[in-house]
Amino acid sequence: MERFVLMNAGPTQPRPANQHMRRNPPIAGEEEAIEKARNGDARAFETLYAMHKRRVYSLCLRMLGNVAEAEDLTQEAFLQLYRKIGTFRGDSAFSTWLHRLAVNVVLMHLRRKGLPQVSLEETLEPSQDDGPRKDIGARDLTLSGSIDRVTLERAIENLPPGYRLVFVLHDVEGYEHNEIAEMLDCSIGNSKSQLHKARMKLRDLLHTGQRKEQIA
Amino acid sequence: MSVVRAMDKTMTCSEFQDTIPDLFEAHADLNAQEHIKACENCAALVRDLEYIASQAKLLLPMHDPSPAVWNNIQQALRHTPGEPPAPLGRK
Repeated sequence: MERFVLMNAGPTQPRPANQHMRRNPPIAGEEEAIEKARNGDARAFETLYAMHKRRVYSLCLRMLGNVAEAEDLTQEAFLQLYRKIGTFRGDSAFSTWLHRLAVNVVLMHLRRKGLPQVSLEETLEPSQDDGPRKDIGARDLTLSGSIDRVTLERAIENLPPGYRLVFVLHDVEGYEHNEIAEMLDCSIGNSKSQLHKARMKLRDLLHTGQRKEQIA
Repeated sequence: MSVVRAMDKTMTCSEFQDTIPDLFEAHADLNAQEHIKACENCAALVRDLEYIASQAKLLLPMHDPSPAVWNNIQQALRHTPGEPPAPLGRK
């Protein structure tokens, strides 16, 4: 099996998963800009930056939860794009390829920082503290229909980093567990477990926010 | 724990909650589970988890990087014209 080794930041050519394609429709003028940028046209590269900066930055920001780091890594992702655009073969949507490159840049950064939640499988194991509450006694408030985007974004920011990575990659970005397991160098079961715990933690955070609002 | 086991109406909440990740992954109809029909707490939990997952899929990129990011990229490209630029730190 091909490993998604973080030392090799070049994106693989991912399979065109349905969700990626749904989220990454072709952009008018993109193909021409890619072709020109491959030939060193600076203006075309600027066009590609303008087309994709928001998505790449948002991805970095959600994965990292830190504006300064997200900007640094957005910069790094586009510099890597500049170096690697000649290797884009068009097997997948350009944006899918670029986003995978950006995910790689973020993960490599986290590995360099030595954050244990992405470097060691055992640290991705479930934590008792953040695990689901079993046999809940009192009936909780229900969330359905009550969360706005800003509230959800804020709750995601407050997830522990390991949970946040898996949640963003799976539920927001649409990667499959096998892809995430490859990226994070962990088992598929671990990815599934982390995702469930991330959703449970989010539920707790969102309920807590609702209770605070009610008290206020 | 198997998905089939989740159909068992004698399950405790704890046992049912252990099956939730597999049920989600199998795209099973969680509301059809026997335990859910009898347990309002687990039904609320499932509703919330489904809601969180569905709302996450609707999140769009909303934030732009500051203009400094493009300035830094341009500067990096200018330093080594015609050659792949070296990564830069934050300016």
